[in-house]
Order: sequence, then C-alpha cells, then structure tokens
Amino acid sequence: MKNRLFIATLACSLILAACATPTAAPAPAEPMQPPAQPAETSAPAAEPTQAAEMPTPAPTEATAGGVDSIVLSKDQPTEILFWHRYSGGAQKFVEQFVEKFNAENPFGIKVTVEKIDGSYADLYNKINAALQGGTPPNIAQAYQNQASFYRLDGHVVDLMPFINSQKYGLTPDEIADYYPFFLESDKNPQFPGELLGWPTSRSAAVLYVNLDWLKELGATEPPKTLAEFEELACKASDPANERYGLAWQGDVSNFAALVFANGGRVLSEDAREYVFNSEAGVEALSLLRRLFEKQCAVEIPAAERFGEQTRFAAQKVLFVMASSTGLPFYADAVAKSEKPFRWTYVMFPQKDPAQPVVDIYGASWSVFKSTPEKELASWLFLKAFTEPENIAQWAVASGYMAVRKSAAPKAIEAVKKDERYANFPEAAQAYERLYEMVQYGAIEAPVAGYDPVRKLMSDMISAAAIKREVDVKAALDDAVAKANEILKENVPQGY
Amino acid sequence: MTRPPSRTWLNRRAVNEALLALLFLAPALVLFLAFTFFPIGFGFVISLHNWRVGPREFVGLGNYARALAGGSEFWSSLVATLTYSALAVPIQLTLALALAYLLFQKVRGKALFRVVMFLPWVTSTVATAAVWARLYSPDIGLINGALKALGLQPMRWLLEDKGIFTLMARDWGLPIPAWLTGPSLAMVSVVIYTTWVFVGYNMTLFLAGLGNIPPEMYEAAKIDGANGWQLFRHITWPLLSPTTFFVVLITIIGTLKAFNHIWVMTQGENGTQTASILIYRQFYEFQRAGYASALAFLLSGVILLATLIQNRIAAQRVHY
Repeated sequence: MKNRLFIATLACSLILAACATPTAAPAPAEPMQPPAQPAETSAPAAEPTQAAEMPTPAPTEATAGGVDSIVLSKDQPTEILFWHRYSGGAQKFVEQFVEKFNAENPFGIKVTVEKIDGSYADLYNKINAALQGGTPPNIAQAYQNQASFYRLDGHVVDLMPFINSQKYGLTPDEIADYYPFFLESDKNPQFPGELLGWPTSRSAAVLYVNLDWLKELGATEPPKTLAEFEELACKASDPANERYGLAWQGDVSNFAALVFANGGRVLSEDAREYVFNSEAGVEALSLLRRLFEKQCAVEIPAAERFGEQTRFAAQKVLFVMASSTGLPFYADAVAKSEKPFRWTYVMFPQKDPAQPVVDIYGASWSVFKSTPEKELASWLFLKAFTEPENIAQWAVASGYMAVRKSAAPKAIEAVKKDERYANFPEAAQAYERLYEMVQYGAIEAPVAGYDPVRKLMSDMISAAAIKREVDVKAALDDAVAKANEILKENVPQGY
Repeated sequence: MTRPPSRTWLNRRAVNEALLALLFLAPALVLFLAFTFFPIGFGFVISLHNWRVGPREFVGLGNYARALAGGSEFWSSLVATLTYSALAVPIQLTLALALAYLLFQKVRGKALFRVVMFLPWVTSTVATAAVWARLYSPDIGLINGALKALGLQPMRWLLEDKGIFTLMARDWGLPIPAWLTGPSLAMVSVVIYTTWVFVGYNMTLFLAGLGNIPPEMYEAAKIDGANGWQLFRHITWPLLSPTTFFVVLITIIGTLKAFNHIWVMTQGENGTQTASILIYRQFYEFQRAGYASALAFLLSGVILLATLIQNRIAAQRVHY
C-alpha cells in the first residue's frame, strides 16, 4: 500500500512538473495589449471571398482620448519593441540610433530593436503570426499594402492624431519639410484621412546602364524614350555570346514602372479596381514580349539571387531595371569585376519624356495598436528618427532617399564624397538626380491583397511575354479580373 | 488452503492499476494533447472559418467545398504532387537498392563511396537546392555549358513548363496529343535533384537491411547452385521486404509533403506547384488561414489513404 502511495505521489509530481513547463517562463513586465477583435458580423456564412462579409474596421484608439492628454514620464519608462529587416549599414545605423535615443529621450522611452532575418515577406508573415498570437511589435517595417492588411482588422494605428497633436506633433513648417509624395503614399483611399505608416525609406525603380557599352553602341546618352530603350537593348544583344540588352529578374515593380512610363496606373485612383489592363498596360507587356521574342532580354531565374547584378558587373547585360537602393551594391559588384567600367542609373525611359511618371516605393514604419502610452512612445521614436540630421545620416547609411527636403543636400553631398563611388562619378551623380524624380512619383497599389496580385502579374508576364503562350490583352484582362476578386476580398466593409 | 480473491477485490485492483497506468502516462499524454492533438483540433476549427489574421466568420465546410470544387487549384496541385511522387519514388528506390547491393559486396573504397553518397542528405537542403538552381541556370549554368560543349541544345530546365514528351516530340518534329505531354521539364529537374539528395539516405537504410540477412542462407543457396540473380530474387528481395516497405513508406510520405527544395528551386512555378506549395501560398501570400488549413487537412487525408493502401499491400507481400 505504501508503495502504491509513493508511486502515485511520484506520478502526480511528474504530471505537475510537465504541466508547469510551458508556464515556467517569467511573464513580461508589461504584457502587450491583445489586438482588438474584429467587429462581429451577422452576415450569413458563405464563400470566404465575399467582400460583403468583411467586418467593419475597428476605429483606431489614438483619437479617442486625445493624444495631448497622454503623459509619459521618465519615472515610469515606456518600453516598445521595433521589428525591422535592415542589414549592413542600415541595420548598424538603426541600432546606434536606438541606443542614442534610449539614452537621451526625455520621455523615458526604451526601444528594443529586433532584426528579423529574411525577406519583407518573411517579416510580413512573422507579424501576421504575432498578431494571431496577440503579441505584435509596437513598430515594424511594412509596405503600404501590408499596413492596409493589418488595418483591415484594426491592428495598426492612424498616425494623423499624433502628427496633429499640439504637444507631440509636427509644426506646419516641419510637415512642409517632408516630400508630400512620401507622406501621401502612406495613405489609402479605403481609409480616408488616415496615415498608416511613417515614411522612412523610399527608393525609385530606375534603369542601371553600362555607359562604356552604350558608347560602343554609338549612343551618347542613356535612352530617354521607350523606343530608344528597345532599340539599344536589341542592338546590344548577342545571345550566342550570352550578352543581352536587358536582365529581367521577374520583379513586378519593374512591370509597374513600365505601365507608369506608358502613362497608365496599376490601381484606379479611388482604389476600387485594378486597371493595369489599360492601353498603357498593353504597351508595357507588348514591349517585354518583343524584347524576349527578339532575344534582347534574358530571364533571371527566381532562385538566382542578384543574378541581374552579377550579369551587369560581368558586362553580360547592358540594362537592368532595379531599385535605386542598389547603388552601393552595384558599385561593389562592378569594382570587383574583372574589367570595371563606367555606369550609372537614370530615370526609366518614358513614352512621353515631357510627362514622366516614376515608380517610387519603400517600406514605411507602422505603429501597432497597444496602449495609448506605447502608441505615443512609438510615434515619438518615429518623429525623432526623421529629424533632418538623423534622416540625412540614415539616407547615407542605407542608400534610400532622404524623406525630408532639408536633409537631401547633406545626403547628396555625403554620397558624392563616398569613396565607394570615387571611380564611378556618374553613379554618384545619379543619386542627386534621384531627388528630381520625386515630383514624378507614383505608387503601385497601397491596398491589402497586393502581394498575391503581384504573383498574378508575375504569372501573366511569364505567360504573355516570356513564353508567349497567350495573347497580351487576354493575359492582362484575365489577371485584372482575378486581381479585382482579390481586391474585393480585402476591402473594408461598405467600401 | 488459501481463499481465492473475491471478484470485487479483483475489480478494485484492476481499476487501481489502470489509474496508476494513466498516472504514469499522464505527463506524456498532457504533452501529446497540448502540442499534437490541440493544434490539430485548432487547425480544424480554423479550417471551418474565413480566418485571416483572426476569425472573421464561420463558413462550415465552405473551405473544403471550395477546395474540392471542379477546376480548383487543389486538384492541379494534387496532380503535380502525385506526379512528383510517381517519378521520384521508383527512381530513388531503384538506384538506392542497386547502390546498396553494389556496396554490400567486397568493393575497394566502399566506405568512401558510402560517405560520398550520404553527404547530400546531411547537407542543408536550402543550400544544395540553391546551388542546383544555379547549375540549372539557362544562360550561365554548368549543365547547359556542358550541353553546349557537346554540341547539344541548351535547355530551360527550371524555367520550362512544357512536358518532356512535348519537348522531345518538338525536337523530332512529331505531333503529340495534349494528354501525352508528360511532366514539365522543371518537375523532372526537381526530381533529379531529389534523387541526388535522397539516394544516399535510402541506400543506407537498404544497407542496414542487407546486413540483417543471415549469410548462411546465401552459402546454402550457392551450394545448391544458385546464380547471382537467383540469390537476389529468392533471398535478398524477400528478406529485404520489411526494409523495402519502410523505405517506400517514408519516401512516399516525404514526396507527398515535399516543400523546401521545390520552393527554393522553382517557387512552385512551371508545373511544380505541389499541394504543400499551394498550402504555403494560400496561407502566407493570400493570408487565407482558413482555406489553407482545409487544404492541409485534405492533403493529410491523401497521405493517410496512401499509407493505408500501402499497409494493405504490405500485409500480403512483406515477409518478417
């Protein structure tokens, strides 16, 4: 009997020990507020893609009590968590800035910065998982369409009340110092008047050009029109020797840049429908189709990371369509190549160079719903980061554009003096010209669900231009029809 | 003379023993319930909802109906999955068995061969898949470089969605019906990589199985005049059947849920969108957790069915 009692006691102890394991970790000092539950709907259950069944987006809390009434104190530090995926110089700068901010800010804000390894898609997935688990960060990098997705269920905070706050906001002069396009690009017509992210990083879709090769072809300057671009790309191509006019790495933003260059749009202005099957879309896709048909372009497989950059440095391709942020990476690749050459990047060729449109993009920093204090602390961190002196240094460290006008000259000067571009003066000058492009900026689609739409567009380009298995217009119409289905699935109720 | 224990006492003892057993099992059961049964159950609940970042509305079996509707992506992904499995499993197992049989003989340097064959399996899948993707590159890949050096036409490999029979027929100028196009070249390229990775692992399992066959049986058969083929057919093959069954089982299950290398090499493009890739896309790209969960349950059902069929066949053909 004693034995049995002992064994039973032992077994109970084991059970308790096993049960205790998952909860053994100490609870955080300040647990995050769980994200707001989506509003309930009485709509009947049916196909999950019905737009009419979307819940009403929850209002953002920051407006409720008035931002000015929130008090932050050094005696009661406010801890916030920031997730990003920057690497290299950008990561180093962010970490140094956070350290300085934590030491010097008068509000007792303590920022913990965490680098998330992987792509923007990985960060997006991680945030979505964290939202499901009720533990999102307070601030995270997010593209506009991703921020809109978070906003659908009321997870991100509208920043306008913070900007307009008398106590913590920005003065009219400060607001005017930001490039208006950058601020506007974080707005989504589906959520009128709201600002879903803070623009810290912006770059443009540009055309990288091998200037020496261009000269060999008899051209005195990079192409300004799409016709010149096509002609030069084909003139440069020599498939027998694996040399091509254009490297196409399947980035849908480059197709969007082509649609813009032809005077079109990806999404209608009111964000109610995708419109890239317009005449501009047909011309953009037809141009790509001709380039592949005449073997003037080479497709870079998705699995080959930086394949276009490698080929550019090896003088296997004359042009690459890519982000302006690639400047230091291209400089590095060309400098290390067997035979360095003169190169630069320019505004993407246009159908009508007198009325150019440039695809400008970049992940912003969004604030997630938590407590009023943490939301305010997050805003104050964003505000401090984009002070002119900081944003100029940030632009140099990261390769992005400085988002404030007063910071741009400092960033340009620093890039011109940067040793990495000592042998590539044209490349350094390109950074200066980048700021001239801002006035022609356009954004692709700041709406939820744009990521799968990009996949549709990628498939469309593959089928109609690269493999040429389907008609251009038919492919565009089909992709737009499917894209609009996805759009309907992701709009706020009543929109 | 001792009195026999009463029925009541026996019952009480049986109950006590059962309770004791349950107590001992409890830690493992708690862990199993918390980390296996609950997630599966919760996954099923998700599959009954339109679930994005959180639940939006209950849709019952709507997600399942959507997946099973004619023309849905699930069916095409299932065809891709089964094609991948049908290609990879026989090739892998035949090669693995042949290599194991060869290396089981007295061959000089067989230890080195075993290590070399096993290396791909212990190397990071993502790293090797990325390297193979580079080898397959149409313009700068080593494979096309070798083809060109031999005066042959370079191929598009991972970028080619056309069926291999269509490509062959095109080269020979023959018309071919749509149903006879065969798996895409991209799919075949992935299968080649898979074979390279898993042959060594399967070979090791077969080697272990071969080591368990008593040598006396071979000696006796040789004395009776059996030749090499007869030895294999009547001794090795039947006595290796438990190992073969195990290897076939894990290989089929592995191919039915293959994901990593396919994602790295093709991202599911060009006829390689298997069910696992589709589930990933629906979950992460479309953020449709409900629909993706329903797809995952359907795939689990397919795997379960395949395993049951195998078990039924094995009952008749495996000799323990």
